Amino acid sequence: MQSLSPSTLLVLVPLLPLVGAILTLLLGRLLGSRAHLPAIVGIAAAAGAALTLLVSTAGLVGSPHGGHAEPVRPVEMISTLWQWATVADAYTPAAGSPAAIPGTVIGGPTAGGTEARAFSIPVTLRLDPLTATMLTIITFVGLLVAIYSVGYMHDDPGYPRFFALVSMFVFSMALLVAASNFLIVYVFWEAVGACSYLLIGFWFRKPEAARAAKKAFLVNRIGDFGLAIATFLLWMTYGTLDFHDTLSADGTILPGILGQTRLADAAGIVGGTVGTAICLLLLLAACGKSAQLPLHVWLPDAMEGPTPASALIHAATMVTAGIYLIARSAPLFVACPEALTAVSIVGATTALVAALIATVQNDLKRVLAYSTISQLGYMFASLGTGTMLGFTAAIFHLVTHAFFKALLFLGAGSVMHSMGGVIDMRRFGGLRRIMPITAATFLVGSLALAGVAPFAGFFSKDEILATLHSKGWPSAHAEHHDAAPAAAGHASLEGHGQTVASLASSMAANSQTGRPTARPAALQSAGVTADGGGTLDRPGTWQILFWMALVTAGLTAFYTFRAVFMTFTGPTRVPDEAGHHAHESPPMMTLPLVILAVPSALIGWWLFSTNWLAHFLSATPSFTAPSVAKTAVPHVFHMDLAIQGSLAAAIGIVIAAIGHLGRRSDAPQMERFLGPLQTIFANKFYFDQIYAALVVRPLEALAMLAALIDRYLIDGTVNLVARIPVFFGGWARQLQSGLLQRYALAGVLGTLLIVLALASRLR
Amino acid sequence: MTDMTNLTDMTTSLQTFSLLAPEIALVLAAIVAFLAGAFAGLRSGWLVALVGIAAAMALAGGQPAADAAAVAAGPVLIDAFSAYIRWMVLVLGALLALVQAGDIFSAAVSRGNSAWRGGTCEEAGTFLLLLAGLSLVGIADDLVLLFAGLELVSIPTYILLALKRTDAHGQEASLKYFFLSLVASSLFLYALTCLYGIGGSTSLATIGARLRSTDDTLVGISTVLLPVALGMAMAGAAFRLAAVPMHFYAPDVYEGTSPGNAALLSTLPKVAGIVVLLRLLGLAVTGPTQAAAVGSGAVAYVTLFWQLAAVLAAITMTVGNVMALLQQNLRRLLACSSIAHAGYLLLGVAAAAAFAAAATDPVGGQGAITVADKAWTGGLGGTTATLFYLATYALATIGVFAAITYLGHRWPEWSSGSGPRPPREEITTVDDLNGLSGTNPVAAFAITVFLLSLAGIPPLPGFWGKLSLATAALEIDWNSPITFGSRRAAFVALAVILVLNAAIAAAYYLRIIAAMYFRSTKRGVQADGGLAAGLAMLACLALVFMATAQPHGLFNAAVQAGTAVRATASTTAQPAVTDNQSQHLLAQPQ
Repeated sequence: MQSLSPSTLLVLVPLLPLVGAILTLLLGRLLGSRAHLPAIVGIAAAAGAALTLLVSTAGLVGSPHGGHAEPVRPVEMISTLWQWATVADAYTPAAGSPAAIPGTVIGGPTAGGTEARAFSIPVTLRLDPLTATMLTIITFVGLLVAIYSVGYMHDDPGYPRFFALVSMFVFSMALLVAASNFLIVYVFWEAVGACSYLLIGFWFRKPEAARAAKKAFLVNRIGDFGLAIATFLLWMTYGTLDFHDTLSADGTILPGILGQTRLADAAGIVGGTVGTAICLLLLLAACGKSAQLPLHVWLPDAMEGPTPASALIHAATMVTAGIYLIARSAPLFVACPEALTAVSIVGATTALVAALIATVQNDLKRVLAYSTISQLGYMFASLGTGTMLGFTAAIFHLVTHAFFKALLFLGAGSVMHSMGGVIDMRRFGGLRRIMPITAATFLVGSLALAGVAPFAGFFSKDEILATLHSKGWPSAHAEHHDAAPAAAGHASLEGHGQTVASLASSMAANSQTGRPTARPAALQSAGVTADGGGTLDRPGTWQILFWMALVTAGLTAFYTFRAVFMTFTGPTRVPDEAGHHAHESPPMMTLPLVILAVPSALIGWWLFSTNWLAHFLSATPSFTAPSVAKTAVPHVFHMDLAIQGSLAAAIGIVIAAIGHLGRRSDAPQMERFLGPLQTIFANKFYFDQIYAALVVRPLEALAMLAALIDRYLIDGTVNLVARIPVFFGGWARQLQSGLLQRYALAGVLGTLLIVLALASRLR
Repeated sequence: MTDMTNLTDMTTSLQTFSLLAPEIALVLAAIVAFLAGAFAGLRSGWLVALVGIAAAMALAGGQPAADAAAVAAGPVLIDAFSAYIRWMVLVLGALLALVQAGDIFSAAVSRGNSAWRGGTCEEAGTFLLLLAGLSLVGIADDLVLLFAGLELVSIPTYILLALKRTDAHGQEASLKYFFLSLVASSLFLYALTCLYGIGGSTSLATIGARLRSTDDTLVGISTVLLPVALGMAMAGAAFRLAAVPMHFYAPDVYEGTSPGNAALLSTLPKVAGIVVLLRLLGLAVTGPTQAAAVGSGAVAYVTLFWQLAAVLAAITMTVGNVMALLQQNLRRLLACSSIAHAGYLLLGVAAAAAFAAAATDPVGGQGAITVADKAWTGGLGGTTATLFYLATYALATIGVFAAITYLGHRWPEWSSGSGPRPPREEITTVDDLNGLSGTNPVAAFAITVFLLSLAGIPPLPGFWGKLSLATAALEIDWNSPITFGSRRAAFVALAVILVLNAAIAAAYYLRIIAAMYFRSTKRGVQADGGLAAGLAMLACLALVFMATAQPHGLFNAAVQAGTAVRATASTTAQPAVTDNQSQHLLAQPQ
């Protein structure tokens, strides 16, 4: 590995799984039961490369030494592979628009920045702390899932197809997080969606699986639509789609949307209506991919796919693409406080709603699916605070969640494997005696998910609660924030419920010309608060969001342990489908469980106590924008919040224990306890029914009408038109008599005709 | 002719040979193939052909670069245009040699002996002569050499047609081609005599200079001879292109000959026809500096040229496509398709001619495209589009025929233990391809790619070709309004006809693809035509994919070639043809 440069490694991370996928596709039949080899070798090598990149990037960032005080230099590496498309002179920026930030000429005068520029889409990979973190998670979890699948999928007729798809997914996801251009991000955003579709519908002969795949795809299209429109708007606004700055041949720098030139310029990021529209569209995209309200409906159904795919795609990695997108676009969001607050509101609401639904599910995988939605909501809530702590906490939770949720899913898969495909928790119980390793590792994952100290989820959840709390009760946090050098203005301005970040860079877009004008901070702040009724960004809102998050924490602990108790404790019961040989899963499956249990237990403590991840991530260019960097606060352990969070978790576990420890089924007690609410939760707040009535049925009626018009009016016309050439064809065929003399005569006569026509035209 | 020019001719004769080195290599290789086949019992004639083509490529690589200034020596002119044609001939020749080498199939049927057959050396040698002739057509700067080159294309073609297939169908096809080709050649020869009458010389440069002259006497002679010269030349080119009104032979001949010969017939003569048309068009076209000094004879010439080409293009593409719709025989269908593609190519020629006509418009007149700002920038002119389209069409067509040559029926119930091997059959009808995706997925995929390219589906090269043709047509008089009867209206209509025809064509291309992917067959369709044709198919596939991923390389070459053909006449014209001299020259032949 020494001889490979980081840019080579960065190419290898996506390339090796791609090669693995292609080899599996080509040689699948030949390899037979060894079809997993190319995929596993490819992903393993990619994981090695990603880890090397993580270490080398961490070396550039430097280690955290007790503090935060000195500003962190942005760390990024840009590697342009080739130009994919170039259209010359496609964009002429208006003077003074954000697209016309004067380029810096090295050793020359400053260019005006209003020259026409090309629409160019370079295939560029980037490496920065955020990308390195994501790549490591993707390849590491991907590798464990692939190993696990060797056992889980072993007799499936689609064995090679499965590994080809998993490999292809790792490739697409790696490029999604490594791309440095919104269009390339869009391409791989679609690519991971396609892989997800194919894996949900992996058993496509099962009607539910086919339906679930279709549903996931269609719901995701709504989000993709948001990303497409956001990309168009970004191009219209900034005249580029690159994240990074580009040095052109004449020495000018074309600032990218998230490049360091623009981030250093307070007027570089558009706020106002356009900025908010872009951010809300990005949020819509993130809602689709990350299954947030109101687009969350596809994820529970996606559990029809093979469980390892659910673990990898629908728990650990792909669904976090939305988190990644918002974190990457942090400077854009920070410039639009309204959009930021919307992110938090969506997130916290989703977290609460999904947790409520999860409490009454009886399907183990669906409990985990709703739990995933809920935890992703947590991350959104954290992102929406718009503070450095909020962003890093979201990624921190993403990391820990990837480990423990993958562990839980693989554990559920192990149960399902052993129970002959049954996943209804009411039909089995006491499995800890049959499958001790699965039970123990599942317990570790559950403790992490429930947020019990010192397991991983506790620390990341604590940071999210802390960042929400600091927005709701800013004064309570002011004292330790004072220690920060940039915190003087911070503390004083927080009273307005407005972060310094948004003040420094937000701009009101002139509605006529779209030209942003940076208003003085105080004026802006007054404007925001004077809008009063319209704005949601004030402590009261955040206090509500904090309480929602805290309640969710309790609910999480409840449903997690409800599942643990129903599955693993009580008298041993095994469904008929399992036959008489219900047993612990083979080592190929339990090994990944054990490996995943280690980080699920320990990584939270390690990352929190050393503050390594937060420090590392803060060197991501997007987070070094002054507007974000100013919100950095010292790394503290909030004992009061930790106690609140632990208390919520404890209450949840105790209620679950009262209800389910050792019992057969919980349904009667839950119904008695919840009353009509149980019906609402069990029907998932009627989202599917509402969508059916409001969207699906009207569309079906419209489609029926269109089909009728198509069949009778359009097809009729087309068929009529299509007969004309056929008729002439038959006529022309008559001329093809096959007689040489006629051909010669026709040719000569034709030539004479031509000559005569030409002669007559000359006269 | 003065002593001075004679001296120049003598000193350049050596240079002429060096410029002709690739063609000489081809002829030498042909001689080796003939002699070794006859006296040394050599059987691998096509190997000799490939080696000869490789040698010619190596020699062509040593020639002046394509973007360098034109080099004229004797009757030979090397410029970007002829270099483009020569490279296309050599590349297509290599591919076709592979196809022909694999085309043992029908011969086996007609001779009842599949194990061995002779004659490959004669075929290979004849084929090499054909390539040399075609390359000479591109290089010729003289009417005599041009005609000699064309005949050096035609005569080997007759022989190949007769050699390959000796059954009744094959004989009928070769005889039909022979007689009709003679008619076309004689018509073309008549056109050449008229051109000589206009120019008083066999040199294209001199003819061009006379044609463009503003002298009234010269203009008068031109005007009388123009309709005959143009009409007959068009007829000669139309036969080679398989365009209306000389298109009738194509379905019969393609059906009657072997797939390898059909591949040859559908590509190499078309190259010759396009070269002839563009060279003749180049006569009236001047370089950027002399645009204003064009006489009314040349104006009439280009005007008639584009009108004629446009009408024939519209008729040809429509006739070809509607005829193809009802064909069941695969080679007949592809013959009709090749007629349609001749129409597309003629559209490009028409656009090139109209472009030249627009350039002769008085500045500020109706067209208002002035030479300085638009005409010579080497953009998407008709010539460029035609040359680009020709290459993409030839690649895809050779690919399809290579695949058909490669495939053949073998009866599924036959195995080596169950008695004598039944005679193999070629793929003849569309139904023979049923279920090919199951029995030979690689060939099915390749054929699909080629057909989609021919249909013009993005992002395959055929799409870029059609796009550039349509753009070239729409660029004519871009700034003027569309009024009835105007040049712009005519070309807008042509572009519309092109698009409609592309839609019709998709119907029968997709029918073949549907047969391969959606129908099933009881007969086993297997690769049985020889490895070489399979290799040619894969090579075509690779080239098509290269042109898909990076069309710029081919396109830039086409731009250079297209620019060169327009400038040819001016750079090589006798620079000092003043009015006095031209009168003097005119006096001599009369």
